[in-house]
Amino acid sequence: MSKIGIIANPASGKDIRRLVAHATIIDNNEKVNIVKRIILASQELGIEKIYIMADTFNIGYKAVNDLVYLKQLKADVQILDMPLTAGFRDSMVATSMMEEKGVGCIVSLGGDGTNRAIAKVIKDTPLLPISTGTNNVYPSMIEGTVAGIAAAVVASGLFDKAATCNKNKRIEVYKGRELVDIALIDAVISRESFVGAKAIWDQESITDIFVTRAHPASIGFSSIVGYKEIIDDGDDVGAHVQLGAGGETILAPIAPGIVRKINIKKFNLLKLDEDYIYNAENRGIIALDGEREIPVRAGDCILFRISRNGPYQVDIRRTLEIAQKSNFFRKV
Amino acid sequence: MRQLTYAEAIREAIRNEMRRDPRVFILGEDVGKFGGCFGVTQGLIDEFGEELVRDTPISEEAIAGVAVGAAATGMRPIAEIMFMDFVTVAMDQLVNQAAKMRYMFGGKISLPMVIRLPEGGGLQAAAQHSQCLEAWLTHVPGIKVVYPSTPKDALGLLISSIRDDNPVAFIEHKLLYNLKGEVPDENEPIPLGVADVKRPGRDVTIVATGLMVHKALNAANELAKEGIEAEIVDPRTLFPLDKETIFNSIKKTHKVVIVTEEVKRGGWGGELAALIAEEIFDYLDAQIVRIGSLNVPIPFTTVLENYVIPNEIDIINGVKSIL
Amino acid sequence: MDLTKELLLDMYTKMNKIRKFEERVSELFAQGKILGFVHLYIGEEATAVGVCENLTDKDYITSTHRGHGHLIAKGGDLKFMMAELYGKATGYCKGKGGSMHIADVQKGILGANGIVGGGLPIAVGAGLSAKLRRTDQVAVCFFGDGASNQGTFHEALNMASIWKLPVVFVCENNLYGISMRQDRHQAIADIADRAMAYGFPGVTVDGNDVLAVYEVAREAVKRAREGAGPTLIECKTYRWRGHFEGDPTVYRPKEEVEEWMARDPIPRLARYILDNNIATEEELKEIEHNIISELEEAVKFAEESPYPEETSAVEDVYTDLVEEGRVR
Repeated sequence: MSKIGIIANPASGKDIRRLVAHATIIDNNEKVNIVKRIILASQELGIEKIYIMADTFNIGYKAVNDLVYLKQLKADVQILDMPLTAGFRDSMVATSMMEEKGVGCIVSLGGDGTNRAIAKVIKDTPLLPISTGTNNVYPSMIEGTVAGIAAAVVASGLFDKAATCNKNKRIEVYKGRELVDIALIDAVISRESFVGAKAIWDQESITDIFVTRAHPASIGFSSIVGYKEIIDDGDDVGAHVQLGAGGETILAPIAPGIVRKINIKKFNLLKLDEDYIYNAENRGIIALDGEREIPVRAGDCILFRISRNGPYQVDIRRTLEIAQKSNFFRKV
Repeated sequence: MRQLTYAEAIREAIRNEMRRDPRVFILGEDVGKFGGCFGVTQGLIDEFGEELVRDTPISEEAIAGVAVGAAATGMRPIAEIMFMDFVTVAMDQLVNQAAKMRYMFGGKISLPMVIRLPEGGGLQAAAQHSQCLEAWLTHVPGIKVVYPSTPKDALGLLISSIRDDNPVAFIEHKLLYNLKGEVPDENEPIPLGVADVKRPGRDVTIVATGLMVHKALNAANELAKEGIEAEIVDPRTLFPLDKETIFNSIKKTHKVVIVTEEVKRGGWGGELAALIAEEIFDYLDAQIVRIGSLNVPIPFTTVLENYVIPNEIDIINGVKSIL
Repeated sequence: MDLTKELLLDMYTKMNKIRKFEERVSELFAQGKILGFVHLYIGEEATAVGVCENLTDKDYITSTHRGHGHLIAKGGDLKFMMAELYGKATGYCKGKGGSMHIADVQKGILGANGIVGGGLPIAVGAGLSAKLRRTDQVAVCFFGDGASNQGTFHEALNMASIWKLPVVFVCENNLYGISMRQDRHQAIADIADRAMAYGFPGVTVDGNDVLAVYEVAREAVKRAREGAGPTLIECKTYRWRGHFEGDPTVYRPKEEVEEWMARDPIPRLARYILDNNIATEEELKEIEHNIISELEEAVKFAEESPYPEETSAVEDVYTDLVEEGRVR
């Protein structure tokens, strides 16, 4: 039986960047609609069982209710029975539960932050991220119907995961020997000393940027690196940039609507599994995939490492091309 | 002396005050280029611009509330509610905010604001565009209620209302807008709380408001043909009320007929009747007569509307019933 | 963003002042010394303080029935507040307003308000007034999740938006409109989403994190002052007490209350201050100690103040008229 999971984060998409960066809004009722489109598409392509994360807005229940009333639901949909924290832990718990239930693909609705939470625990289930966040590099803006179809292809088990997915890189952050957190796209060190409104958007306070990938077509702090050097997810390399006077100046879109001059003092490529040791001279904070997370005190020694221990991310275009070439969509 | 219509007199008062005091501004539905539903604010936008002659969305409660907030912070707004019927939508801001704010704050704020309220029937506008709801407002301590019946009164009273430091409900009768009348050359304020004897007489006092003043004058002319001399008192402000002028007239004539266009039940006219009964009962030689609209919604078609709203015949009959 | 010691300690002082004032009010209410209805702000301190730290005395706020916190955050005087709660002549409103109507117009506080949603258009009017008078004042409108279902909410947001007024709408989403949980009283989870319908930004923020609220409000106030128009900030928070003092709160589970009490905003700020060596534990203790003295002085002031003359009941309705009194 083909199964998929859906993780829709009700909290993504309304942080301070809405105010400072003209960022896009996807409200929760639209997330309900996206979930409905994923269900409708995937059930037509053979998905029989769908698990949905429980959440404080009841995105899953609302989607299912509507489809039941309209007599459009064919798949067996189960909302996970899980305690809610209304925080990122919900996504982590749901990921593990879905993997235990043997889903063939997890579709996520959220931003870089939501996917970072999933990536902390996901083992080898393919992840198909749909962007509903503000400032995203990791998930893509894709129509839910198409996402549902691609998820069904991956979950069918007919195609090799190596063909449909990319094994992502990630940034591992260690304090001493302990892996304290990860990022999928970027880790940024800021002189800000508090978590506050979480989202990081003020470039003046930033001193260092670590990235797994960088491209001028993306948005956010990874774009700063992308304006200097293109690094694909497939490249076995990451980068570290130190900001500050003395080097070259580039223009980069550090957040939606915010294009700023950035002074790059130092640029280094980082090989996979190579350690970068950061000795903090001042207090500050480390933001992971755009969210302020780890407070740093003067004297702290922090180690950054880029590895290929990230999730298997579904390459939607490649997946659909493979399916098409294999006549997956031809109905007899 | 100039001749102005009632609508022109209102406009003149607003213009006069806006020229005199930069804190005065107008807001309301379609008060700008459109000139107001009854054309009262026509042309003001050309002189004062759209910032001070401010079109609002159709949001009566916010119109009233914005006036409260602006008045509380140093402006002197004149808000127009397109038809007085729509004041029901703005009642919280008028009744619970505007009227009470000064009192609730221990006298530490003043709210210099005017709410203009066109009322009255006679336009076949039916039940939701014809009401006279002055009693809703006179019932609430904290609001002054003004109701002119002539261009001269409209001009002078509106000037005073705009200069008043309290919330003032300024009621206008829609059928009076085109009434022409003499107006002094100087734009002089008429103090609130001062009634005006519109016609002297000895036999009976008719207290009438708004359009009913004119119907009472017509009725008095008819009555005069029969030798009955009615004195017509126009209170001009319903609160504060010039009891003295009204009571002095009744003390002279010993009979009173109260004529208002509002529905009779629970009306302002009933309040006046009660005051007279309470305070000068001994001077009365007959029961107090109240004439108002019938206790029904205002109907649409002319024959029904005319039946419901009082006219000269009703007033003559009322007077004769106590002579 | 520079978080100075002065700013952080002012936040800490005000949040504690609110907490201790409200706790004292609760006791005094239970003792029957304060009458009427009181709605306490305990648990929501970070919201009022985080927002008001961005304002000056010239800026305006409109408040709610749960207004003590806003007043203190905007600089209200505990003596006059307490005297008003006691119904004394020396109170902010000379005993005519009580808890739900305390105002300090000199400090830009356009009053607490007993009507849910009543302050929304008034704040818009204050914003319009600031704009017409060409000042750089900002009007902040506090209201709750319940008020976001009132017509005034929609009328006010729309008007502020079309006129690009310097108004910051601060929704204190404390999860309940009296007894009705948010998921029963509206079909959205984030009230900030509603800003989208009126064409300006809406932000959701942790209302129990004073630094987060401060940061978001700072941007919103800046935006308003610069003429860019309104912002809706939704602060997710929780009231520890019932809707009013005496409310048995049968409508919410104990676990929920405990969970939110664990997110107490005051120790969160204290932890930040101590962890970053901004002040010592002794300094914080001293702040709390000073508040207790100030509070006890306020209670003493209230207790020793006279009640108003009964005939003053007919004063202050109008600026120029005194209503008729009663002969007894």
